[in-house]
Amino acid sequence: MLPFTVVFRPGEPVYEQVTYAVKKAIATGQLAPGSRFPAVRTLSQELRINPNTAHKVVASLTAEGVLLVHPGIGTVVAPPASGSAADRAALLNDELERLVVEARRLGLDEEKILNAVRAHWRKFPKET
Amino acid sequence: MNAIECENLSRSFGRVPAVQELNLEIPAGTFFALLGPNGAGKSTLLKLLLNLLRPTSGKSRVLGRESTSLKAADFRGIGYVADGQDLPEWMTVTQLLGFCRPLYPTWDQGLAVRLQGLFDLPGDRPIGKLSRGMRMKAALLSNLSYRPELMVLDEPFGGLDPLVRDDFIQGLLELPGDDRPRTFVVSSHDIDEVERLADDVGFLAGGRLLVHEPADALRGRFRTVEIVGNQALTVPSPIPPGWAEIKQPAPNVLQLVCTSFDASLGASEIQARFPGSGVAVQAMTLGEIFLVLARAHRGSDGKGAL
Repeated sequence: MLPFTVVFRPGEPVYEQVTYAVKKAIATGQLAPGSRFPAVRTLSQELRINPNTAHKVVASLTAEGVLLVHPGIGTVVAPPASGSAADRAALLNDELERLVVEARRLGLDEEKILNAVRAHWRKFPKET
Repeated sequence: MNAIECENLSRSFGRVPAVQELNLEIPAGTFFALLGPNGAGKSTLLKLLLNLLRPTSGKSRVLGRESTSLKAADFRGIGYVADGQDLPEWMTVTQLLGFCRPLYPTWDQGLAVRLQGLFDLPGDRPIGKLSRGMRMKAALLSNLSYRPELMVLDEPFGGLDPLVRDDFIQGLLELPGDDRPRTFVVSSHDIDEVERLADDVGFLAGGRLLVHEPADALRGRFRTVEIVGNQALTVPSPIPPGWAEIKQPAPNVLQLVCTSFDASLGASEIQARFPGSGVAVQAMTLGEIFLVLARAHRGSDGKGAL
């Protein structure tokens, strides 16, 4: 059993779907900092995905600092990002711009999109 | 290193060309899905690679050796499972494994036992008395157990129920994971079962390789698009590059398949052509993309590629 779930959707790169599922599991607290992350082989077999893809998932999450590799022990979930709040917020610039572009295209106003963001924000556990 | 290389590979049966001037390189460690409609030449190509058929012209190399000079010893590193292939009907699965084991220096008995359990294969019944799914699993088991460097599967999923398919895929995924790269070449006329496994996709039609690219790139550039306007819409002329299967179910609705979608631009390029209209863009499965490719080929006298 994997400590997170992936609901695969057609058409999107498998690699992006799995990395997103891992980040979401961390955001919801399903995957706690310091907990063990499954090996590439286990990921591949449990999700029925190509081992090369599973490897790419672990490599990119490690490069982003989401996972930490301890030689001889394995891969664990990293503690939340450090650095100033402004530095961390800058990581989301691209995603925020996309959200605003899509919202404008759909004709939503500022208040509506902020409310929608708030509703999603509250679905996840409070910061500890 | 390439596990497979083809150079102008051709094979005809009488006057009928089955594989035409085919060039292909598959790097070692790749899961390659060979797609194409029935009669596209998939089985012929796989047989040419493994020297089960001789080419009319051109050549191919497998694991560094020319196909036409493959020897028995080379086949210790190659697995081949084909739909409806011959198996010794009178042997039980246990007898088959006992027969194969001494033939392969790389035989992994632990893997054989694990796979037999995973596949839920009875060891004591003659293979001739097993169901189709069981027979395919027996064939796969006897091939995977010597950990081949190259695994060639010709329409392995045809007629298998979803549970057996899943067993089958799980079995395939038992193979990688040690130091050596494992290459898979899997032909299918229905891609859905290998959607999450394929690194690269080749699309064969009329004996020609029309498309060969990473599965993610293919998924990235195909989208269904629906444009809904407040008034009647007209199809741009000339038709924009990359547009296919354009339909107009109502005067104010256009549906099409975009084959050159650029995710960084999103729908903006299409939106710009139809100001004030709603544009809905949807990703497609490899199976749906495959159908678009097949229809485009059928409608183009064998020359079309998207």
